[in-house]
Amino acid sequence: MLLYVFIRGSMGLRRYILTRIGLTLPMIFILASLVFFIMRILPGDPVRSALGPRGTAEQAENMRRTLGLDQPLIVQYGNFLIDIITLDFGTSMVGGHRPIIDEMSERFPATLELIIPSSILALAIGIIGGSLAASKRRKFPDYSLRVYSVIIYSLPIFWFGLMLQLLFGIQWKLLPVAGRIDPVIRTSLQPVTNLYLIDSLISGNWPAFWSGVQHLILPTITLGLVLSGVFVRMTRINVIETLQADYIAAARARGIRERVVVYGHALKNAMIPVITLIGLQVAILLAGAVLTETIFNWPGMGGYLVQRISSRDYTAVQSVIAMFALLVALISLAVDLVYSLLDPRVRY
Amino acid sequence: MSAETLFSIRNLTVEYQTRAGAVKAADDVNFDIRRGEILGLVGESGCGKSTLGKALMRLHRIPARIAGGELWFDGRDLMTLSENEMRAVRGAEIGMVFQDPMTSLNPVQRIIDHLTETVHAHEPKTSDEEARARANVLAEKLGIRAERLKDYPHQMSGGMRQRVMISLALALRAKLVIADEPTTSLDVIVEAKFLDLLRELRQEFGLTILIITHNIGVVAEVADRVAVMYAARLVEIGGVKEIFADPKHPYTQGLLHSVPNIQLDGAELYKMEGIPPNLLYPPSGCRFHPRCPFAMEICGVEEPTFEAVGNDHFAECWLYHQASQVEVEK
Amino acid sequence: MSSTEGSNTPTKRETEGWQNDLQRVGLVRRLLMARKWYGVDWWFVAISAVMVLAFIFIAFFPGLLAPYEPDQIVGTSFLHPGKYPDVPVLVVRTESTVETLLDLATPEGEDRPSVGVVQGGTEATAVREHSQELDDQLIQDGNGLRLRPRIERYDDVQELLNAVNDGTILAAVVNSNEFNQVKSDYPDLRSGDSILGETASAGGFIMGTNEIGQDVFSRLLWGTRIALIVGFSSSIISLLLGLPLGLLAGYFGGAFDRLLSLVMDSLYAFPGLILAIAITSVLGPSIYNVIVAIAVLYIPTYYRIVRGQTLTVKEEVYIEAAKSIGARRWEILWRYIYPNVIPSVAIIFSVNVADAILTSAGLSFLGLGLPPTMADWGIDLARGQRFIQTAWWLITYPGIAIMLIVLAFTMMGEGLMEIYNPKLRER
Repeated sequence: MLLYVFIRGSMGLRRYILTRIGLTLPMIFILASLVFFIMRILPGDPVRSALGPRGTAEQAENMRRTLGLDQPLIVQYGNFLIDIITLDFGTSMVGGHRPIIDEMSERFPATLELIIPSSILALAIGIIGGSLAASKRRKFPDYSLRVYSVIIYSLPIFWFGLMLQLLFGIQWKLLPVAGRIDPVIRTSLQPVTNLYLIDSLISGNWPAFWSGVQHLILPTITLGLVLSGVFVRMTRINVIETLQADYIAAARARGIRERVVVYGHALKNAMIPVITLIGLQVAILLAGAVLTETIFNWPGMGGYLVQRISSRDYTAVQSVIAMFALLVALISLAVDLVYSLLDPRVRY
Repeated sequence: MSAETLFSIRNLTVEYQTRAGAVKAADDVNFDIRRGEILGLVGESGCGKSTLGKALMRLHRIPARIAGGELWFDGRDLMTLSENEMRAVRGAEIGMVFQDPMTSLNPVQRIIDHLTETVHAHEPKTSDEEARARANVLAEKLGIRAERLKDYPHQMSGGMRQRVMISLALALRAKLVIADEPTTSLDVIVEAKFLDLLRELRQEFGLTILIITHNIGVVAEVADRVAVMYAARLVEIGGVKEIFADPKHPYTQGLLHSVPNIQLDGAELYKMEGIPPNLLYPPSGCRFHPRCPFAMEICGVEEPTFEAVGNDHFAECWLYHQASQVEVEK
Repeated sequence: MSSTEGSNTPTKRETEGWQNDLQRVGLVRRLLMARKWYGVDWWFVAISAVMVLAFIFIAFFPGLLAPYEPDQIVGTSFLHPGKYPDVPVLVVRTESTVETLLDLATPEGEDRPSVGVVQGGTEATAVREHSQELDDQLIQDGNGLRLRPRIERYDDVQELLNAVNDGTILAAVVNSNEFNQVKSDYPDLRSGDSILGETASAGGFIMGTNEIGQDVFSRLLWGTRIALIVGFSSSIISLLLGLPLGLLAGYFGGAFDRLLSLVMDSLYAFPGLILAIAITSVLGPSIYNVIVAIAVLYIPTYYRIVRGQTLTVKEEVYIEAAKSIGARRWEILWRYIYPNVIPSVAIIFSVNVADAILTSAGLSFLGLGLPPTMADWGIDLARGQRFIQTAWWLITYPGIAIMLIVLAFTMMGEGLMEIYNPKLRER
């Protein structure tokens, strides 16, 4: 779709997209550099902490050499940037000797499978609730939705997840509380995309699909609801602002139905700034994903990050964080492009 | 009197609920709009004329509300209609043109969609093709080229957009168009063209137009009659020639004197004394009396009423019924 | 013309009178009157202000409200909320001076005091063993006191307590839960401390105890202090860095602005928690490291808001006017622009404290940031997570505490934003 627009679109749109891509590259660079300097310059010796108190000086020296940590900082920095460009992060520092990129590529689909339905849930609640609150401003739906969004915003996501586990998993025993799929059913599933829902649909493996859905419900509600608070707020504020615009009054003066005015005219215009703001909420989405994965034992990138931190695998930690930076930059690029599709003022 | 009345406004009062109390933006306003005329409603900014214009279509939004009055349009009192019946009147029978053409069109909607949407809102059975065909015909009459209809609003000039606004008002042959400061954001040349267009449309469609403006020049150019508003009250109404030749109300006199006139170069421009009153706490009696050069004792005590001061010319001022009343008292 | 003046005067007096009225009203009255104007937003701010003040009070004086020290082991582990531990307690008449078993000690040679127990319970053994221990201690001290109570057995609790009530015996040792069940029937009796000493409490724990027998409620109250310290200090550091940077970048613009904005935008777009994880995983667990890590995260929040506001205000006519009368750049920045950005900064600060508390709780939950023994809500949650199957109270209460404190600051920000934000004002 985007490619189609890019090829067939007007001159202005093509230039806009190129500019956006041009701006994404420095963002990746800055984020990667930030990660690098935080990990290297802050006091604290990763090699010592990786080896633990019983590690000898000789072991530390060896490890430094294999990891290239004995080289000058600027060389290390260059290597790190090359690693990111080539997506080759070397092997784990502790435990297994598998390439980090392999470990990440196994876990990345799990994260995707969590954040996509969660975002959809959050967007649906946010857009419907936000425009409802705006159209009934200073009335009961508005007040209750505002209280909802403030409370949801204040929920610690990890606690909310635990509470759902406590109620649905332990008290009522309705849903599984850990993992992506039943481990027994898992063996019957042929991995294609590693997105279990898609894989099971392709192969027509209904038990696997059902198990995947069941495992997905609680994590999705956790992450989706917590995100929805922000979206309700943003949609509400922007729809309220749009409803005060002249063209809304003009549409009413033409006898357009109020429902069409709010959901057709106002919402469509309000979505343009909301899309940009949603792009900025990628941060909340990913931070939330890390915590959600930890609680639900979800084998995604966030779970991997926490696991590597506790095993003090410093190269893996650095790589995962760089990967997150890449993800952030790419998602904001995608959001920008969606924006250009929505707003004719950018397109022409 | 001479012509048939299209819209008869009776005792209309519009209030704003503010944090400090209720403010009347229109206070007991009475006037008629006659079929086929162009009526100019003039007044300073903040005198309530825009609110009045919106209230005529019941388009006012919270915190404004109509506190009382009747709106007899074409034989019906609009105040008695349900919101849905009112919606059917808006756009189909009364159209509105807003002040700023830059912001009164939906930026993410093509011009043609504005037109067809309006048609569909009132005549849901009309096919897309028919609606589009009607839009094309209308656009042509208003001097908008057919291919420009596919454009988005930001691709058009201000004058062009104001034509689109008019075409939207005319899409369903509205009998009355309320134009709220339609030329304020246009430059002088575009303004002149636009006013010509209004006159042509009146001829061609038999349109009735209420033009709300603070610009006396616009009124002088297009209007048949003028209504003058001051501090939420209507103070004078009459034929444009008569009022310009012989304004009766001291406020109208001041207003006309304060308009710069190219021919009178060198002459000092008249400056009205004082400032417009705070509508939250309007002056007692006649609202103009604190600024009026002819104020009398009674002006601060009692409100004057509308009196005939000429042929089809009325004013609300003690100067003109003082004599009769004083005589009666004697 | 005198008539004109005459009619003018009453009007003038009216307006003046009205303005005077408003000015004569005191601050408190005006705040209350604002309720009518702002509706729900007023309630948001008022409720959250009360909550914030309450939390600040708790943070300053946790000792006044908390029954125990946060690290003190005060009871058996995994005690349900509201449940009393099954411990033998001393029951005496209300007016009695006896508090502990030791108070029953008598000089050598005097009558041995009688202590009643219920037949067949474990109390008799407990009394015998503990008085033996204390007696040995007394012999060592050598001041002539001995503790050798005579144990009298009764058939049931009623009989035993009646005996204490009559004064037949000086004291009884009863299972604390049994005593609490019949407590209301004996208004003249009271329970003293557990005879087992400090490790157990007869008082009960309103939020239960954790896996090592610490009082959840006390840890909750002490945790307020950590949450507020982290929230406030990190937000103040971010403010002190973000505000001037935003002002300068917004006002002077140029390459400095463009470069800084690119860095700040990148930082802003990056998930804060993940960055904090990176920083704390290198720095190691300590409260100062958490404060620094979180402070770094939120600099861009202030920077972006202040820069945006500065850009808007810079274009205002009164800035042009100030320039035209020869005001210097720093003067304009300080006297005209800075006061204009303060309201938004105050709102952001409130929301920011909430965010910082959430992030720090998230960090502790992941086992990063604070040292694992600290009385912190996130740490308590992480510790409780292991016992989710059996002890729901370990994860429920700390979570509610986090939610309430974050809610207080968020609500305040939300209410103020709605009140101040000119964009949202009704036209």
